[in-house]
Order: sequence, then structure tokens, then C-alpha cells
Amino acid sequence: MNVRRITMRVNGTARTADAPHHLTLADHLRTALRLTGTHIGCGTGDCGACVVLLDGAPVCSCLVLAVQADGREVTTVEGVADGDRPAAAQRALVEEHGLQCGFCTPGLIVRMAHAARHGGGEQDVLAGHLCRCTGYEGIRAAWRRLAAEEDGR
Amino acid sequence: MTAVAFAHTAPDTLDAALRALAAPGRTATPLAGGQSLVPLLTSRQVRPDVVVDLTGVPGLTGITVGPDRVRIGAMTTLRTLERHPELAAALPVLGRAAAAVAHPHIRRRATLGGSLCHAAPAAELPAVAVALGAEVVLRSLRGTRSVPADRFATGAHTTVRAPDEMATEIVFPRTTGLTHTFHELCTRGATGYPVAGVCLGLRTDGGRVRAARVVVTGCGDVPLRLPGTEARLTGRPVAGPHPGLLAALVAEAAAHGGPEDGGYRAEVAGVLLLRALADRGEGAAR
Amino acid sequence: MTTDHRHIGRPVPPRHHDRLVRGHGRFAADLRADGMLYAALVRSPLPHAEVTGFDATAARRDPRCALVLGPGELAARTAPIPTVWRLPGQPEDAVPVAVRTARYAGQPLGIVVADTPTAAADLAETVRLDLRPLPPVPTLADALAEGARPVVPGTGDNTAGRIRFGSPPEEVAAALSRAAVVVERAFTLPRLHHTPLETRGVLAAHDPGTGLLTVHASSQAPHAMRQDLCAVLGLRADRVRVVSSDVGGSFGSKVLLYPDEAMVCAAAVALGSAVRWTESRAENFTAAYQGRGQQATARLAVGADGRFLAFDADILADLGAYATQAGSGPAQVTGLTLQGPYRADAAAATVTGVHTTRVPTGAFRGYGMQEAAFLRERLVDETARELGLPATELRLRNLLRPDELPYTTHTGLTYDSGDYGAALRRAAALADRPRPPDAPWVRRGTAVVTAVEITAFAPTALLEAYGIAWSGWEGVRLRINHDGTVTVYAGVIAVGQGIETTLAQIAAEGLGIPLDWVRVELGDTDTAPHSDLSAQASRALTLAGGALVTAARRLADRMRQLAAAFLDTAPEKVRTRIAATAAPSSPDAVFHTPDGARIAWREVAHRGYRGWGRARPTDPIRLEESVDFDPPQLTFAHGAHAAEVAVDLGTGRTTVTGYWAVHDSGVLVNPLIAHGQIAGGIAQGLGQALTEEATVDADGLPTTRSLREYTLPASPDIPEDLVIEHTSTPSTVIPGGFKGLGEGGTILPPAAVACAVAAAVPEIAHTLTSLPLTPPRIRAALRAAGLTAEGDIR
Repeated sequence: MNVRRITMRVNGTARTADAPHHLTLADHLRTALRLTGTHIGCGTGDCGACVVLLDGAPVCSCLVLAVQADGREVTTVEGVADGDRPAAAQRALVEEHGLQCGFCTPGLIVRMAHAARHGGGEQDVLAGHLCRCTGYEGIRAAWRRLAAEEDGR
Repeated sequence: MTAVAFAHTAPDTLDAALRALAAPGRTATPLAGGQSLVPLLTSRQVRPDVVVDLTGVPGLTGITVGPDRVRIGAMTTLRTLERHPELAAALPVLGRAAAAVAHPHIRRRATLGGSLCHAAPAAELPAVAVALGAEVVLRSLRGTRSVPADRFATGAHTTVRAPDEMATEIVFPRTTGLTHTFHELCTRGATGYPVAGVCLGLRTDGGRVRAARVVVTGCGDVPLRLPGTEARLTGRPVAGPHPGLLAALVAEAAAHGGPEDGGYRAEVAGVLLLRALADRGEGAAR
Repeated sequence: MTTDHRHIGRPVPPRHHDRLVRGHGRFAADLRADGMLYAALVRSPLPHAEVTGFDATAARRDPRCALVLGPGELAARTAPIPTVWRLPGQPEDAVPVAVRTARYAGQPLGIVVADTPTAAADLAETVRLDLRPLPPVPTLADALAEGARPVVPGTGDNTAGRIRFGSPPEEVAAALSRAAVVVERAFTLPRLHHTPLETRGVLAAHDPGTGLLTVHASSQAPHAMRQDLCAVLGLRADRVRVVSSDVGGSFGSKVLLYPDEAMVCAAAVALGSAVRWTESRAENFTAAYQGRGQQATARLAVGADGRFLAFDADILADLGAYATQAGSGPAQVTGLTLQGPYRADAAAATVTGVHTTRVPTGAFRGYGMQEAAFLRERLVDETARELGLPATELRLRNLLRPDELPYTTHTGLTYDSGDYGAALRRAAALADRPRPPDAPWVRRGTAVVTAVEITAFAPTALLEAYGIAWSGWEGVRLRINHDGTVTVYAGVIAVGQGIETTLAQIAAEGLGIPLDWVRVELGDTDTAPHSDLSAQASRALTLAGGALVTAARRLADRMRQLAAAFLDTAPEKVRTRIAATAAPSSPDAVFHTPDGARIAWREVAHRGYRGWGRARPTDPIRLEESVDFDPPQLTFAHGAHAAEVAVDLGTGRTTVTGYWAVHDSGVLVNPLIAHGQIAGGIAQGLGQALTEEATVDADGLPTTRSLREYTLPASPDIPEDLVIEHTSTPSTVIPGGFKGLGEGGTILPPAAVACAVAAAVPEIAHTLTSLPLTPPRIRAALRAAGLTAEGDIR
């Protein structure tokens, strides 16, 4: 089996580990780096639970090979908060009841935190994210609250 | 599930990439944006020995808008197509059709060349490439050839690309004199999978169609150009009425075989065509 | 109690969400164990085949392989999974783990355990299956056709038992003969995939030293899983522990032990080590049990005055290859609840189970009640159209009035309380709005429908009467710890419905303390009170909450008595003063007397644990109260839903443009959570109305194998205009007045949407009896009705 030792900067810290060539970034984060906050809901890019920032851009980590992230910067749901202080996206989702089982939530947090800084319309921000629990009501309310907070700054 | 183990190689020159694809005794698959390939790998539907990652190959991205043609590197992402002002001015349908693909996370990595080579039957960009009369440039160690888009896909997920070839560039002529729009119906809202669509190219004069190009998606294994429908349109007022056009389109599409859906997708493509004509007729009248 | 600690009725965000938004959830696939190995299942690629060979030689020779269990080994190591709820005449009473005949594509035949997930998948592929294909029996029509091959060998046909509910046949016949109009329709409710975002998963660890098997599973009902594992693996209950930590959605799909999960546990026992299995999404689409799957012929008879005379239905339930633990349960509930919130002279239903060569069906949120609501409300709608009456008017004439409750239906359900007409009128009023201008090819329509929902399932006597071998009561253990903090143990579990928060609210209110003193501990069979049904059937809050109301009252009394002893006064003279943000040891959290003597809450608890302050030496010491609550009867929530739809005549696409729901779930403990439950249920119901259908091809092979083929609603599919209101008629049979609401949102959307489409395009109303209302289906109906795709454009 082909294995490469790869290093990426994950949530601000350089992390080096062996990556079999055939594993995805999502697999690598979850197993080699033990960052299990990134969830795999489908493996086909449909649900968005696995979204992380790769060099600052949101991508489905189930559709990227781990070796492709060698030397690059990755932000996962575990790296969104500012230490103990939850990020605005995290607070908004909790307060607006934008999650129930919480499985789809990590990808949404990463996406919403990114969009809060870089902009994006609601349709665009929530596209590519499936939630089976909330009916999206709380999620949309959370995004609107977040967008309004960012506008207020 | 995890993929069957393979070797990943990321060549940093085109030549190295072509050599990797041509290496004898092992199967190699080019990896572009990976948004279709990676799920095929992890579900074990595709089992190459080597994955040749084209991300680091120089010269495969970028959009060059010339007076006669637009050249787009095969590794240019759909996101770039969506947001390229010069492209929007030259061939606006490309960016709009790109924006209709999947969702932003996918479009950030998916590429034009990848979309054409993946050749999904209802995909947007292969149809637009056919409607625009694009050519796909294929390179291999054996040389370079250019294949018209309407002869590129040979069936669902199959193309004329040989295993040792890769798409390097797609060339779109600007001299057709037609203005194109793209319309589709998805399985849900705006973010589902495409069911059927139509790319409509028109040249009009005084509210009448002088030349038309009609390419439908989802109605066969490949994008279907419908010359019969085009001929029916020519000379008619854009805004209609277009009596019998829908039935004619359905019949013409059915002649290509197509899905066993009682003609539903072709009918949808026809409805989208009629609405596009009504819309553009209104625009012409304004 | 002071007004500072009114927690019931407060919209508090669920408490574990802070953990989940930080990525610190603990889902089954996140868990690890020392020396953990990985499992992959060997599954049947064919829907029906005799397994004549299972050759794992190559896998066993591979150094990465730890274990292979094929049908032979499994037969030696496992017993079948027992069933608990059967139809009279059902041919089988267990679901085998080891099989020699595959009865559905995706059925697990064996298991491979290896050192990595990749190796397990690689080796599972190398197992050579010799299969002798048998004819597939994919549909109800195939199963019931003359000369169809029986799915269960040795039986004469594919029926799996039959039961009749309600009025005797002669009463139904009499009612039909009095009718001015009888409307009869044939209905199809397709099979559905639950599609929780988290697939199933198990981490089973066996310690050969102690003989303990510890299973972490994504399960809605860990106690039931433990019982079934004991039966299957022949283990003593004291040696099996099942823990359900975070569950990423379930909706009924994780209530039962599955054969593949049992194989993972059998492998762990065989190896004496830890084995983890994470279901792939493709497996979830083929091997996880499905929901619904019914065909019915149903009729409604009305008098000339529009009075309902009889509801009657013949229901065929596609049980699939096996009748699972609860097998025909959902279809039986369809029969039981057909009459809904209406009065009628007669109501009856016959339910027939049918075996097919498809994956078994089972519970899905709405459990037979969504199906009943669809049959009933579409029939009412069609009848109104035949009578030329407004449908809302016809419904209001026949709805039970509050003064008629309690009311016992012809199938023996007793409705306790509610104002059904008020909810319907309110939903109709909400939906009554001017329609915006539409494109010429769009038609809009609105409809209002209504249902009652069984909650607090179920009284022991009822389960006994139906022969359902599960416990229906619910227990809690409430403990004040030595430092005054509080722990609640309950047998129900959290699956995203916020139960840990609502139980904390009930405990905190009952004890008169701040919410953050309370921790709720769920899901571990070693510590949780026994519960078979656990978190399903809209029962967790009503039953565990009902028990907790009593436990908190008892414990509050004991604390007061202890405080009185320490303060040397009578209990009735003792008051509490606990500031909203106080800690248990704070001087702001005290028992006190009118003359100013005081003792901190913590101090009372601490002294209590020393055994001090008891009135009699025989009084209990531990500050714990265990309460088992067996509800005296079911309690019924109810609701009315209105949908506005826009139908595109050209493409057949239906868009839901507005949705209004009015629910009555008794006393609401947490309106935020209640709202979220209803909203989420509505979204699922809308998917089921419009896009969701688990399909097979002509060979009986599943064709919905990914989220590409199976379309779940995304955000744009849920209307912006979604309004949810609550009325509150307290339950008369549950302490606290609670009623359940977990399923309520899901029950009505298919009926509401279909009736709204009928209102939009009356030309096709009579055809709207099969779900989902996909664009091709609607388009075909429009075509048959002579509505061309061109519409007003040519």
C-alpha cells in the first residue's frame, strides 16, 4: 500500500502523519489526526457534513484525497471557535435551534463561519448542506442572525 | 467506504503527467477536481492502479478571451467560469450554466475538463459545449488532437478520450452569431440533480428567428442536438406561437432512444424551450 | 417553589448543543478502543437466492484478516432475533442472523474482520459466494399473484397474517347501505428510506477475562438491543452492556437490533476484542430497514347531510423479506387510527401483511398514522368534491367537539382531550391569504387537513391486550448528589429531540432549583432504568416526564423534611430561597424559616447523605427516588395543517409555497424544542409528499442507492412561509399535562400537499392517491386529463 508522510497546518497547528494515498482528507482528519468533528454523511458530496476549509475555501473533505492536502492549511469545526469562546456561527446555531441531532452541524458551522467573513447569499451558503432534523428553519434563522451581526460591525 | 488502494502521483509538468498516464502495465486515471472521481473511487466503482493528479500541472488553467475564440484550460474550475467578467461578456451562457452545476462546494473544485470527460447524461456543461460548437483538445505522448464537442461523448460516462490522453483545453468559437441561454429542471429546488435541460442559441432579426441551435440534456446518453427542431424554429417569430414544436421536439429526441420515462424528460426540455422562447421574445419586443 | 424556577414553558436551547457545535460529539464512528479491528459485511447481491457456497479461503489466508464468520459459523454462534409484535397467522416469529437463503439484496450473509477498514472491505470482496438464483418477488402484486413463489418456504402464499380492527362487518355494511355517497379509492404509500445523516454503527468490545460485552451503538433503544443481543448470542443480561451516546438521527430506523449489528457483536465475542463497523451510505440505502410500504383500498360513506357513516379500509402491508421484531406494527396502527378525529357510525380496517423479496420494513416517524391520515383526509377531500361542499365545512361538521371527549373510537382508542375544530379553523384562517400573480402555466391551491396523534405509548394493559411483548411504562431515577447537584437517569434516550433538556427542565421545576444544577444521564443500560421502547412513538417526554414530575415532588418533600429537621421546625414552615444563578452551596440557595433560621441547599444534601435528620431509622437515606410510570391510558395530541402549493402544468413540478400548522401537544415544556420538532417533521413529510420513494428495478434490485437517486428536501424546498402555532389542552392522564409531539409534524404533510394539489388542479384530484407526487406522475395525470404541457404558451 502506498503511504506518504504528509504535513498540513490544521486549525493553526502543523500536523504530520502517514496518509495512505487512497484515503480522503475526511478519513485522515478523523483517523490519523483524531479530529472526529468532521462527519462523513454520504461520501458523495451531497450532504455537506464533512465541509472544511482548505486553504481558506470550503470544500467537501470526502471528495479530496488526504495527500492532496499535503503542505496546505485546513480548518475544521474544532478550529472555528476562538479558544473557549464559541464563534458567532456556533452561537447563532445554538440560539436559533439550528441543530437537533448535530450530525450535519460541523460542515454548516465551517461554511457559515466562512460566509460570515466573506459574504454570500442565503441560498448559496446553505446549498450543499442537508439536514434531516430541523427542516432548515432554525438553520436559516441562524444564518440571518449571523449575517445581521456581521453587517452591524 | 474506502477506495481500493492506489498510488497517487502529482506530476509537475505536462510531460510527466502524460508519461504517467501512458505507463504500460497499469491502469491510470487522471484526477482533475475529483468531485465525480473521488466518490467513484471510494465506492470502488473505479479501481485504477495509479491516480494522476493534474492539480499541479502548469498551464492547464485560465481563460483567454480572443476576438474569434475563447480558450479555457481544462483544469479551470466552474467557480472561475462563474465569476469571470471577460467570459461573462464574451460567452455569458458558460458562466450561467456553470453556476447551475451542483452547489458551491463542488464548483470550487470541479473543472470544465473534468465535467466534459465525466460525461454525465444530464450534465450542463457538455450540452453548452455542444451548443457553442466547442472543441476539446486532447494531449497524449502520441500527440495532440482536437475533437468537436458533439463527437466527444459517446455514451453515458464514456468519451472518445483514450486512457493515455487528457483534456488540456476547450476552445469555444465566438463567431456563431448566436446568443445562447441555458435552462434546466432539477430533482429539487435549485440544488438537486438535473432532470432535463436545454441550451438554446438564437440569432434574431426583427423579432424573428434567423438561426437556431437547440441542444437538450437528460433526453439521451449524451447531449442531443436537435436539427429538426432548429429548422422548425427558423423563420418563426421568437415569441411564438410555436404550434407543434413541443411534440416535434419530443419525437425528435425519442428517435435517439433515450430514457424509459414515457418521454417525460424530452417534454420538460420542450417546455423549457418554449418558455425560453417566450422569455426571449419578450426581451426582443422590449 | 419560587417563580425564579419556572422552567416548564421556557424556550431554552438544548444543553448539549454547545458540545455538538464545537465538534465534540461522540457518534458511533468517532469511538475507538484499544486494539480495535474493523468489520465489513458480505452481502447478497441478489434479491432472492439460495446460498450454496461461502468460500472465504482467500480472505482467511490474508495476514490482514482477523476473522471470517460465514453462514455456518453464524449458525453455530447465533440464535434468531425474536419478534415481539405479530399478526395472527404470521408464519415466522424470528429474524435469523445466519441464513442459507438470501431474501433481499443487501442481506448480510457473513462478516469479515481485519486490521483496517480498507482491508476489511478488500477481504469481504474476495469471499466467493455461490448463489442459486430464485425468482424475485419485488412487489405486492408479484407476491399476491396466482402461483407466486412463497418467500417463506413451506407457506402456501405470501400473506403474513391478517387482523381486523373496528366495527363488525355487519355494522359497516349497514352504514354503507344507508349512505348517499360512498367514495372509494385505491392508495399506494411507497417504501421510504429514513436517511438519518448518521448511518448505523457499532463498536462492540468483548473482554474474555470478565466475559463482559460492551456495545456502543447508534441506537434509539439500547435496552431493547441488549435484550435481543442476549437472545441472539446466548449471553446473560448481566454480561451485556449497550451504550447509545450521540445518535445522528434515526426516525425509527435504529429501534431494532439488525442481523448485521448482531454479526459485529458475535465477531467481537469470537475474537475477544473490539470490533467497529460503520455503515456506508450505500449500505444504509440497501440494508437498513425501510418505512411505510402500503397499498390500500379505502372508502368513506356519507349521508345526504354530509354526516360520516363509515370509514373502511383493506390494507396490504409490504413487510419485506421478514416480519421484524415489530413487523406489521405500523400497518396495524394505520388500521387503528383510520377514523382519526371524526365521529362516524362505523369504522373498520383489515390489515394483511405480505412478504416480498425486499429489505424488511418497520417503524418510521408517524408510524402508520401518516398513512391513515393520507387515506382518510384524501377520502374526505374527494367526498367534499362529490358532494359539492367546501372540504373544511365537511370536516368541521364531522369533527368531534370538545364536549364529546373523552370519546372512544370504533377501534377502541379513547381520546382524552383537545379542540379539534379550533385547530382546523385556525389553520384555515392562517392559510387564507391573497394569491400572488403566477405565470400562466402555474396553478395554485390550498387545503387544510387534520389528525390525532397517539402519544404516551403505551399502557401495559394495552400492550398486553395486543400481545406486544414490550414494556410500555417508563422509569426514572432522580438523585440529589451529596453536593446538592442533581442527576436524572432515564431509560429514554436523546436522538436530537432535546429530551435531555426537557427532562432537566421538569426536574429543575419540580425541585425548585436552577436548570444548570441538573445533569441528565441517558443511554447506558448499566445505569439507565429499563426501557424497551425508549425514544420512539412520541413517548419519551410524556412517560419519562410524567415519572419525573412524581419523582421530583417526592424528593422535594424529602429535602424539605430534612431541612425542617436541621432547622428544628415543622416541614410546612420551611421555605426555599434560591437565586436564579446561585450554586447549590451558595448562601443564596437556602431553606429558611419565617424567623430567619437557614441552611444551604448543599448542606441539607450533604447531611442527608450522612443519614442525619431522618424522622425514623427506617427512612431511606440516599437522596434518590425511582419512579415507574405506567400510563393509565394513551394521550392524544392533535393538529391541523394547511398547505398552499403551486403546480407547474408544464413540468408537473409541485412547489409548496406556504405551510401553516396548528398543534396541540398539551403542556409544552420547551416551546423552542417543540417548534423544532414540528418544523423538522413537516420537512420530512414534505419530502415524502413530493420526492421520496425507495424503488427497485424489474429484477428486484434497489435503484435508490445514494442521495442522487433519493431526493431529500434541501433548504429551498421548505417554504419561507412556514408558520407553526400551538394551542394547549393539557393531557388529563399524564402528570404535568404533557402530550407527545415527536411525530406530529410528519403525519399530515402528504395529505395536506395532495389535497392542495387537488384544489389547484381539480381535473386530476381523483388520481392523487399515490405518493410521492413527483413531476412525472403529476405530468402524466395532467396529460390524461387533457392538460397539455404547453399551457398558455404555444
